[in-house]
This record gives sequence, structure tokens and C-alpha cells, in this order.
Amino acid sequence: MADPAPAPLVVYVVDDDASIRDSLALMLGLGGYATRLFADAESFLVAFDPGWSGCVVADLRLPGMSGVELQARVRSRGGTIPFIIITAHGDVPAARAAFQAQAVDFIEKPFDDAQLRSAIDTAFALERSRIDTAELRRADVEKLSRLTAREREVLEHAVKGLHAKEIAAVLGISPRTVEVHRTHIMEKLGVRNIAELVRFAVAAER
Amino acid sequence: MKILRYVRDAAVFAPCYVMLDWVSYIHPLGPFNITPWNPQPALAIAWMLLGGLAHAPAVWLTIVLADAVVRNFPAGHGVTLLTALVLTGGYAAIAWALRALLRPRPDLRSLRQLTVFVGVVASGIVVVAAGFVGVLYGAGALERGAATAGWLRFWVGDAVGVLVTAPLLLVAADRERRASLRALARRGETYVQIGLVAATLWLIFAGLGGDPSHHFYLLFLPLIWIAIRSGMAGAIIAIALVQVGVVLGIHERSLQALPIIELQALVAALTLTALYLGVMVEERERATESLKQSLRLAAAGEMAGAIAHEVNQPLTALANYGRSGQMLLEAGRTAELAGVIGRMLAEAQRASDVVRRLRDLFRQGTTRLEPVGVGELLDAVRRIGASSGAAVSLSVAADGELPEVLVDRLQIELLLRNLVANAMDAVAGHAQGRGEVAVTATRDDARNIRIVVSDNGPGIGADSKSVFQPFVSGKPTGMGLGLAISRAIAEAHGGTLEARAGAHGEFHLLLPIHARG
Repeated sequence: MADPAPAPLVVYVVDDDASIRDSLALMLGLGGYATRLFADAESFLVAFDPGWSGCVVADLRLPGMSGVELQARVRSRGGTIPFIIITAHGDVPAARAAFQAQAVDFIEKPFDDAQLRSAIDTAFALERSRIDTAELRRADVEKLSRLTAREREVLEHAVKGLHAKEIAAVLGISPRTVEVHRTHIMEKLGVRNIAELVRFAVAAER
Repeated sequence: MKILRYVRDAAVFAPCYVMLDWVSYIHPLGPFNITPWNPQPALAIAWMLLGGLAHAPAVWLTIVLADAVVRNFPAGHGVTLLTALVLTGGYAAIAWALRALLRPRPDLRSLRQLTVFVGVVASGIVVVAAGFVGVLYGAGALERGAATAGWLRFWVGDAVGVLVTAPLLLVAADRERRASLRALARRGETYVQIGLVAATLWLIFAGLGGDPSHHFYLLFLPLIWIAIRSGMAGAIIAIALVQVGVVLGIHERSLQALPIIELQALVAALTLTALYLGVMVEERERATESLKQSLRLAAAGEMAGAIAHEVNQPLTALANYGRSGQMLLEAGRTAELAGVIGRMLAEAQRASDVVRRLRDLFRQGTTRLEPVGVGELLDAVRRIGASSGAAVSLSVAADGELPEVLVDRLQIELLLRNLVANAMDAVAGHAQGRGEVAVTATRDDARNIRIVVSDNGPGIGADSKSVFQPFVSGKPTGMGLGLAISRAIAEAHGGTLEARAGAHGEFHLLLPIHARG
């Protein structure tokens, strides 16, 4: 598989407390993480791009929009970046709301760095697998685009489970020609049998 | 050493006992120690109750001695030895029963202890009286008719004597009670009360004329006053005063034996009334005190929650800097450590500022008033709303430019947090459709800012005062302390907190404006 330059994973810190931001940036920076800092949810949203990858470490209580609300806004704008919510007020309803919005973790201050790092690493693993899947899909789509119009028709019917004769009848061509098309399709997509072909087509359609 | 102490105690006890016997040997039945007022058994019972039953032989010797000194063996030596044995045994049994039942110590501080004390004394003396009179009757010293009358008279005289005198002795033996007596002695009111008791006694025995027992009820008034105002200690002293006054009055009027028994029965009734009132007043005071204590604790708990947040921030930063320092050390980048350590010191300072503030807060009644912008308080409210999730919409609005208020920021934030959390709870359960909580700040007049917290929940009904009562809660899990504390905080700032009755919940908080210059 062709591996493009790995996407840079960044920890986006959103906390209104300057000391927390500063100390997190220092600690995470020394730990080898790239960080970007925001004092509130609004300034994060202004800068936010759905293509960002990494994770967001957001304080629950922020002036204005809360960390959980920020997460919801990012999702509504199509962002899939994982969220870690931190709080100095461990309360159950807030934790529940955070998890309902698919936060990776909910950490109470003060936390030890191992706890935070493990949450960040979990989030990064999620991001990487998401990015990898996206890469794969992009490669698949690219392979599919190499098929001719006729080959794509044949593929569509083959995936539905039709035999060569049936496809030939539907398309008004000879079964022999259908088989030639199918061999070409399998070569172009790099699959060895019909089962793999079906799996590929289903995955690419998603 | 033990024996020395025994002898020393006995050397104090015996003369006191004989003295009391001699003083109280009034209006006897025949030549015997059957009198309408007999306080010395209290001395014997209290000594054995506090000191132990080992004192019984000394008590027996003392009783024989008293009979010899005061009455010169009225029924012969043998009978005196025998009656002394009956009395000693009876008093020892009473002391033993009280010792066993008045645990952990006999201080008459509860209704139960007082009831046990009265019950054991009254029933014990009945038996002692029967034994005493029975011995005299058996020895042929008393007629059958005189024996029955003697039994009753012995019972009333001894029982009243013990009920009045024994509590006095127990008070004298109790350090805490002695302290409260000293406190009473420093109060002007005490002397007015003593004067009133003396005046009432004079009225009963001289001023009003006629049968003293007809006007005896007047004594209940000062006794009730004393018991309610001064508790058990006051009541015990007052009934001792009344007893002395009654004895002096009897002496002055040279009354016959029968009316005296009647008077003593009245003294017994008065004694029981005063003691029970005193105990109940004390129990109520203790209950109030422990309620206040738990209110303070609950307030402290709420406050601690608010402050935990303030302390957690610098602690988190400290931990982060600390870990960073470790990593710098591991990497050998020691030159950068100085900066990190400087920042750690700043965070430690920040944490200790919060802790100092906390300490100030709990030092009785200390609030740290400072000018705070209304906008800052409203920002705090917004932060509260932010953490509560999306189920309730919270709107916060200020009416134009508002002046600063003079408040303790932490306490007022706590108060607002309380009100908003209550409102959110109220709408979460009951509002039709989406719950809404609104916080608005307006200028009320030249001196106050009005902050209104309202919701579209069910409201609080007509009884808008009871919500501020401690332990009155509309929530199934509520302690009912939040609003009581909130109001206390508002009032400590010179403001007010009111609930408005209506279809929806509405709380009005008035805070004083900071006057410049």
C-alpha cells in the first residue's frame, strides 16, 4: 500500500486557565506531542477546519460555550476529531453528556500525566485507524475509476450475484465477452476471485 | 492512701449529716426522726452514688451518731442500731440502683435520667419508710394508727428532702454545672429572680395571710421563669431556695404537723415541675445547638465543593509543571528547569491564596468584601450552565451597564450556583417541553442590584417562606439546606433573598452596590 506522508496529529488544548494551558503545552511538548492552544470554545471554532486530525483536550467549564457543547458543534460541522473532556468539577450529569457525545475520556483535575497521555494515545489510535481507512477507501475509489463504463456495468451485476449468462442476457452481449470483462475487472482491482470482488465493491460503495 | 481518703471523706460527711439532721429536726412525730423535711438522706445517697457503696459502714455509724446527738436514743440503743441499719441499707440500695441506671454518669441531663432518678428515689423511700416505721412499731415504740401516719410523713419528708437536695449535690460535683452556676451568678437577672422567689414566699406565708398552701401556686410562676431561662442549674438552686423559705415560713408561723405535710407535698410537685422544665429546656437547647452545628457543616461542605474547583486548577498546573521538570531532567536540559520551577512556585502561591481565603471564610463570619462587576458574576453563572449539558437552556442577561456590587465573590457565586442548580432541577423534572432558566440582573434602586433567577418549572406554591426552612426540601434526595444557606449568605452581605410565589419558580436576590469614594 502506498503510504502518503503521515498526517500530523496535534493535541488541541481548550482551557480558559492560562496556567493550565501553559503547563499542558510544556508537558505535552516535552512528551513529543504537537499542541495548539485556545482560551475558549469560540476562538477554537473560528480556527477549526474539519480536516484537522489529532484530538481536542477541552475543559468542561469554559466562559461561554462549554467543552461538551463545543464537541457537539464540531460534530455538526462534520469534524470527527476525538474529544477528551477535563474538569475540576467531577459531576455525573456532565460526564454522561460528554460520553453521549462520544468523548474519548472524561478526566478530573488534578490528573497525572499518565492518565492524560493514555487518553490522548487512545484518541490518536482512533484517529490513525480512521485516517488509514480513509486512505484505503481513497485507493479503492481510485482503482474503481480505472474501469471502463462497460466493465462497471458488468461489476454492478456481478456483485448482485448474477451469473455470466444472466449478465450477458441483461447487457445484450455474449457470455464469453462478460467473462473477458470480468477477468479485466479482477486484474484492475487486484482481486483473485468473485468473493473478493464482491467484498471490494461493497467496501468501496460505503 | 485509700484509707486516709476514706477517713477524710467521712470526717467531712459525718458532721454535715449530723448538722443537717439537727437543723431539719422540726415538727417530729413523737421523739423520732420522722419529720416533714429530711434532707440528710440526700447526702448519704449522693456520697454512696458518687463515691461507692464502700461508704455504707461510715453512713451507718453517722446515722447512729446523729440519733445520739440530736435525739439521745429516743427508743433505746438497740432500736437505734437497728433503724440505722434499715436506713443505711435502704439508702445504699437507692444509691446502687441509681449508679446502675444513670449511665454513663449521674448528671440529670436527660429526661430519661431525671425520670429514673425521681422514680428510684420515690419508690425506694417508700420501702425505707416502711422498714423504719416497722422497726419502731415492732419495738412497741409506735401505736398502730401512728405507724401508718408516720409512714406517710416519713415518705413525704424524706422524698422531698432527697429530690430537692440530691440534685444540688450532683450539681456541686459536676464541673460543667458549677461553671454554668458561676455564669448565672454573674447575671443581673438571677438576682431579680431570687428577689421574686423571696417576695413570693413572703406573700404566701405573711403578706396574704390565711393558709399558706392556698397561695402556694404563686411560686410556680417564678420557678417556671427560672427553669426556662436558666435551665437545670437555675431550677435546682431555685427549688432549694423555696425549700429553705418554706421551712423558715413554717418556723415563723408555727404551723401544725398536718398542714406542713400538705405544704411539703406541694413543694414536691413544684420540684418535679421545675426539674422537668429545666431538663426539657436544656435538651431543646442541645438540639438547637447540634442543628446549628450541622447547618454550619453543610454550609462548609457546599463551600468546600466550590473551593475544590479553585484549588484543583493550580494543583493541575503544578502536577503538569512537575512532570515537565522530570522530563527536562531526564533529557539533561537542566538550563530550562529554572523557568519551570518559577512557574511551579507561582502556582503554589495561587493555591495557597485560595486556601487562605477558605480559612478566612470559616473563621466565624469573615467575608471578604470586594467590588465585583455584575458581569463577572453573570459569567460565573454562564459557566455553571455550561457544565449542565443541553437538556436545559440557560439565558443570562444584564440590563445595560450595571455598577459593581460589594460582595464576597466566592460566596455569591456559591449562592447563584445554588439557585441556578435548583431551578435546573425544577425544570428538568416538570417543565412541559424544553426547560428554561433565566438569570437577569437589573438596577433595583440607588443602593441595590436585583438578580432574578426564574424558570418555567412548577413554581413553589403559596408558601414562599417555608422553602428557606432548613430540612424542608422539595426534592426527594434534598437535604433542604441549600436555600437556608443561600439566604444566610445574602443577609450576611446586607442583601436579601426572596422566593416569589407563583406558577413558575422565581427567586429575587438583592445585593448592595459598591459606593465609590
